[in-house]
Amino acid sequence: MSAPESDSAVSAAPVESASRTLLVTLVLCLVCSVMVAAAAVLLRPIQDTNKKADLIGNVIAVSGLLKEGLTEEQALKRIDARMIELATGNEVTGVDPDTFNIVKAGKDPEISTELTRREDVAQIRREPRYLPVYRIVSANGEFKKLILPVYGYGLWSTMYGFLALEEDLRTVQGLRFYQHAETPGLGGEVDNPKWRAQWTGKVLFDEKWKVQVEITKMAIDSSSPEAQHQVDALAGATITSRGVENLLKFWLSDKGYGPYLSRLRHERS
Amino acid sequence: MSYQPKKILFDPIVDNNPVILQVLGICSALAVTSKLSTTITMCIALTVVTACSNAAISLVRNHTPSSIRIIVQMTIISSLVIVTDQFIKAYAFSISKDLSVFVGLIITNCIVMGRAEAYAMKHPPFPSFLDGLGNGLGYSALLMAIGVFRELFGSGSLFGYPILPLDRDGGWYVPNGLLLLPPSAFFLIGMIIWVVRSWKPAQVEQPEYKIYHAPRPEVAS
Amino acid sequence: MKRYFDRLRPLFAKGGQYEKYYPVFEMVDGFFYSSSETTHHAPHVRDGIDLKRLMVYVVVALIPCILWSWFNTGYQANLALAKMGVAKTGWRYDLLTALHIGFDAGSILANTVHGFLYFLPIYLTTLIVGGIWETIFSTVRQKEINEGFLVTSMLFTLTLPPNMPLWMVAIGITFGVVLGKEIFGGTGKNFLNPALTGRAFLFFAYPAEISGDRVWVAVDGYSGATALSLGKVGGVEEIIRGGMTWWNAFIGLIPGSMGETSTLACLLGAAFLIYTRVASWRIIVGCFLGMVGASLLFNVIGSETNPMVAMPWYWHLVVGGFAFATVFMATDPVSAAMTSAGRWVFGLLIGAMTVLIRVANPAFPEGVMLVILFANVFAPLIDFAIIQLNIRRRLRRHVRA
Repeated sequence: MSAPESDSAVSAAPVESASRTLLVTLVLCLVCSVMVAAAAVLLRPIQDTNKKADLIGNVIAVSGLLKEGLTEEQALKRIDARMIELATGNEVTGVDPDTFNIVKAGKDPEISTELTRREDVAQIRREPRYLPVYRIVSANGEFKKLILPVYGYGLWSTMYGFLALEEDLRTVQGLRFYQHAETPGLGGEVDNPKWRAQWTGKVLFDEKWKVQVEITKMAIDSSSPEAQHQVDALAGATITSRGVENLLKFWLSDKGYGPYLSRLRHERS
Repeated sequence: MSYQPKKILFDPIVDNNPVILQVLGICSALAVTSKLSTTITMCIALTVVTACSNAAISLVRNHTPSSIRIIVQMTIISSLVIVTDQFIKAYAFSISKDLSVFVGLIITNCIVMGRAEAYAMKHPPFPSFLDGLGNGLGYSALLMAIGVFRELFGSGSLFGYPILPLDRDGGWYVPNGLLLLPPSAFFLIGMIIWVVRSWKPAQVEQPEYKIYHAPRPEVAS
Repeated sequence: MKRYFDRLRPLFAKGGQYEKYYPVFEMVDGFFYSSSETTHHAPHVRDGIDLKRLMVYVVVALIPCILWSWFNTGYQANLALAKMGVAKTGWRYDLLTALHIGFDAGSILANTVHGFLYFLPIYLTTLIVGGIWETIFSTVRQKEINEGFLVTSMLFTLTLPPNMPLWMVAIGITFGVVLGKEIFGGTGKNFLNPALTGRAFLFFAYPAEISGDRVWVAVDGYSGATALSLGKVGGVEEIIRGGMTWWNAFIGLIPGSMGETSTLACLLGAAFLIYTRVASWRIIVGCFLGMVGASLLFNVIGSETNPMVAMPWYWHLVVGGFAFATVFMATDPVSAAMTSAGRWVFGLLIGAMTVLIRVANPAFPEGVMLVILFANVFAPLIDFAIIQLNIRRRLRRHVRA
């Protein structure tokens, strides 16, 4: 060893003594905890901004606002986030929709209710009592689109996404999943832009506002009136496709956003 | 022992690669290499942690009672890892979502612990720093190789930019789904080890036993 | 021709011009004529069986499956064509029309030739690509080229769907031969079945081409689910609703991988293999009993939501690739367990786990491929345990005596 070994020579107590051990531990813990705490505290605001931007980024992506030529900054101003109570469809205050964590809320017994097996079409076990919804407004504040967070179980994982509805509240503007762990190449194709593009313009409700959507393996006959409710299944991914169909059926039903949607319809008619 | 900074730095990249020769750090190599952007972030994080922890542990090595030395090493390493993780979350948020727990798991990465115990406890800070840097780079070299292969042939892109036009977007390349699954990294590491050991036979381990060849008559085949 | 080979021999022998390529020469020579090397002194093995003969037996046992694969592939394709009534294009159609064979699903000849035209390109690709790898490794390692490869390529072809793109076939067999076999030292040292390794690779790498319900019938755009994926949806009732009967499935008139559909053909092969003692009957019977046991267990447990739980064992036997894999894959003498008791365990494990995957795993309708690879990995451990148990038992006996 070529380095000078003078350090240990100057220290008072022998290295192996009990008091020395305690001292080293204490100093080390102090230094480390200050370091960790400093990093956590100083970086927290940036991290929070990131998280918010991330969620809103998904909302912006599904809204189609960027396609209309808006920048993200401008798009952000068009989004009007509200918290709603699912059971009644009423808007609630007191919870910040920007920081609301959907994944956590779905598991937290404090703010979610358990679903019975029959109700649990989307296989999510618990349903949060409150969820954020995003209204997209035009430049002068008119209601244009509605974006709803949706999620449900596919083959391997819970798929989290956003469903964007047009002004009429029955036509799909877009459906986009931002978090899932389906098989790459099969169920993972829910991210395929071509498949996603199929959704735009599909109609999710029939004349009597009953949910009508089907993901089918059969070839879609575009002349039949059913075609507007039908979407091609993902090739080789029966269960993921069924999962998407089920989660839409669940979230659009009275258990999901049904009360809110009907309230909104009345408001607007 | 003569002091050769170049050798300390570059030895672990090919001749004494922590992954290829010692087969350490495999777990994270499987998990983070499906995309190049996550791979490179992980590589930088690990290199920084190994280098800094080696330097820090070497600094306090003469004040550390041997009875608590492992816990001291662990504390230093985990503090560094948490700080790194916080930085990644702040400045590379989307990548940190893909990396999920794997930055945190650097704490348990055998390369970091191994270098701390094997090198930093016995050497002065600067060589230790170089050693950590070298081992981090050795790990990075291998991970980057795997990352390039997996992303290029698994998704047809590099750093998210399309290189091979995919068939589902009208191109000609049909992506290989296996490469997006973790086991493919296993196959690739195995093959790289195979190639490197064929190239440098000195790295081949001594066989644990010899197969006994019975003297046999010339049997008709 | 014999003289031609003999004249060439010195060129390839030690010190000859083409010494490096001796394995290639050996293969060609040995394929046409029996080896010029004979046993020079005692002990002579009385039975003339060697690896080459063994592999020929396996190929013979495969003949019913191969013939059936031609017929059924063509039959399913012709049925689908008749149903869809689409314009027929492509070289196969041109050839069939030129030969005046046509596309009548009622004609055995038309079906067989049509199916053969799907089988042949895949088989040739497998043979050529696999052969090239085998030759490269044998040449580098200075070993003889092994006929085991002929069996591997045949098995691999039979496990694929008829419309598999040929470049995928090439990659699959490359993976199977190189990573499943050569990397461990070649034939006899592989602990995985190379054909299954190759198929598993394709299954994970290109799932869209080898799973789902659009690939099993060789007509583009035609959706023909396998019995197992129907069973996943609604159990046996759904299979029958899909137009299949037990006898259909037993004989093999159902969509599926080329060679796996006919349980009958597999049983014929099994009889031959057991008679010639090439395959271990313990493994085959073990698989069968394991499958029956597990399915009976699931039948007893019952389930409201999973229709596969109620599927009886005689349906498990005839659907999917269970029969084919049990007879031809599980019994691969190299990668299976070696001890007699170990073979029982090995077989039971495969049978029971196949049913477990079929019933419990939502993603894979068929599990037998993965299960056999799994059991291959465990085979040395099983053997080790059996041998240790034997040693202990004998020790105890010795002490008592």
